[in-house]
Amino acid sequence: MVTTTHSTATRATEIVSEYFRAPISVLEEAAQVLGGQLAAAKGSGALTAAQLDLLVEPHAHAALALVEARVYGAGFIAAVDLLTGARNHLSWWQGDDRGKLVLAAQSVNKEFIDYSDFEWFRVPMMTGAPHVAGPHVDYLCSDEYTVTVAAPVHIDGDFVGVAGLDMLIDSVERQLLPRLSALGEPVTLVNGVGRVVLSTDAAHTTGDAVRGGRLAELERARCGGVELDIIVG
Amino acid sequence: MVPRRLEGALFQSIGDAGRAELVERRLADAITGGLLRAGERLPSESELARTFGVAPATVRESLLGLRARGLVVTRRGRNGGSFVAEGADPISHARESLRTASRLSLRDLGAHYAAITAACVRLAARRAVPSEVQALRTRFDRLDEGDLEQWRRTLDDVQIELVALSQSARLTREQMRLQAEISPLLRLVDTVSEHRGTERALLLAVIDAVERGDAPGAVDATEQMVDAVIDALIAIQAQTA
Repeated sequence: MVTTTHSTATRATEIVSEYFRAPISVLEEAAQVLGGQLAAAKGSGALTAAQLDLLVEPHAHAALALVEARVYGAGFIAAVDLLTGARNHLSWWQGDDRGKLVLAAQSVNKEFIDYSDFEWFRVPMMTGAPHVAGPHVDYLCSDEYTVTVAAPVHIDGDFVGVAGLDMLIDSVERQLLPRLSALGEPVTLVNGVGRVVLSTDAAHTTGDAVRGGRLAELERARCGGVELDIIVG
Repeated sequence: MVPRRLEGALFQSIGDAGRAELVERRLADAITGGLLRAGERLPSESELARTFGVAPATVRESLLGLRARGLVVTRRGRNGGSFVAEGADPISHARESLRTASRLSLRDLGAHYAAITAACVRLAARRAVPSEVQALRTRFDRLDEGDLEQWRRTLDDVQIELVALSQSARLTREQMRLQAEISPLLRLVDTVSEHRGTERALLLAVIDAVERGDAPGAVDATEQMVDAVIDALIAIQAQTA
């Protein structure tokens, strides 16, 4: 029984790592290329929001075109001092129509927000590596329950923002749950702080914390390349 | 089959406001609510058209309406575009809407706001993890009574972030809608030092309860906070009558 559980955990972590591989590598690629493009653009004068949008849009569309992992929104979030004349610019495309996020329809004060308060911005900024943040209610872009994947963008080693994408937990559930269910044992995916992302056991609700419950006692297996854990049982 | 008691809602009037009027109202609310500030440039007509999912002609018509109401000015030339009028002052708009509001409508707004917020903090108390509450406190600690613009913005942000800890997208969207509605009125409450102290203390009590995982405590403090705010609005309304 122990061996079965162990191999189930291993296979589950592989399924999850594989699932997030494409979105992470599309962002790493975008971050790399964009860093060079931004350096060139900055070299020839002040960078405006409109110029930035033109550079980012093809990268966003590449992320939105992924089929292995369905992406809801994608783009680039500039650090506060990158642009001339726009403090907090979101260069972001989302939804079925891949529309540009311009003026959030129902919101409060989005343009004054300090992005370094957010895990998806702060962690790549601090570590220099891609990061899967959430699940969280993304009240900046999609107003949906999402995970946000983000990779840092640098110009000559200086951090200038993150290339990011949102995946709806709804999509993650639709795509991952059948594969994890096929393993035949109860499998729960939790994030680094112990929040349930999804579970093959309906008793464990997405969004709940495992803290204090039965799952908190069980062993966690880390998924390669993402800060997500698998709990079997 | 639609259950009978829901039929009433189903067959309610949709209203005949045209799309241009809807766009105009959305932008007017953002301006009078202080979300778009005096002098701020609006996105271009084509960008607005894409965002709202309407034709550019519809946006042009709505901008015409906003110009006629003195909320927006349009400048020609290279650095031209539509800008929020310098005279668009959220506080005076809030005073006017408070003056014309009935006590019933204020109490009902409070009841709606309290119901949604309470549902959110109940879930947040169960689901939030310590590092998230800590991030919220960091933001809360930036509250600066010397700058009322920043004060309101920070309280609104903290409130939205607090309810987002519920992990419910639907409830958070509803809270954002309500926050946008009530925030302009709260600017009036913010002008009174005593009220600022009360709101700050009660919001902190909600955060403390969420951190302890104390759902009833979070709900109780939320209801006290909303009651205090609505009482304050009614007091202000009575003073200025």
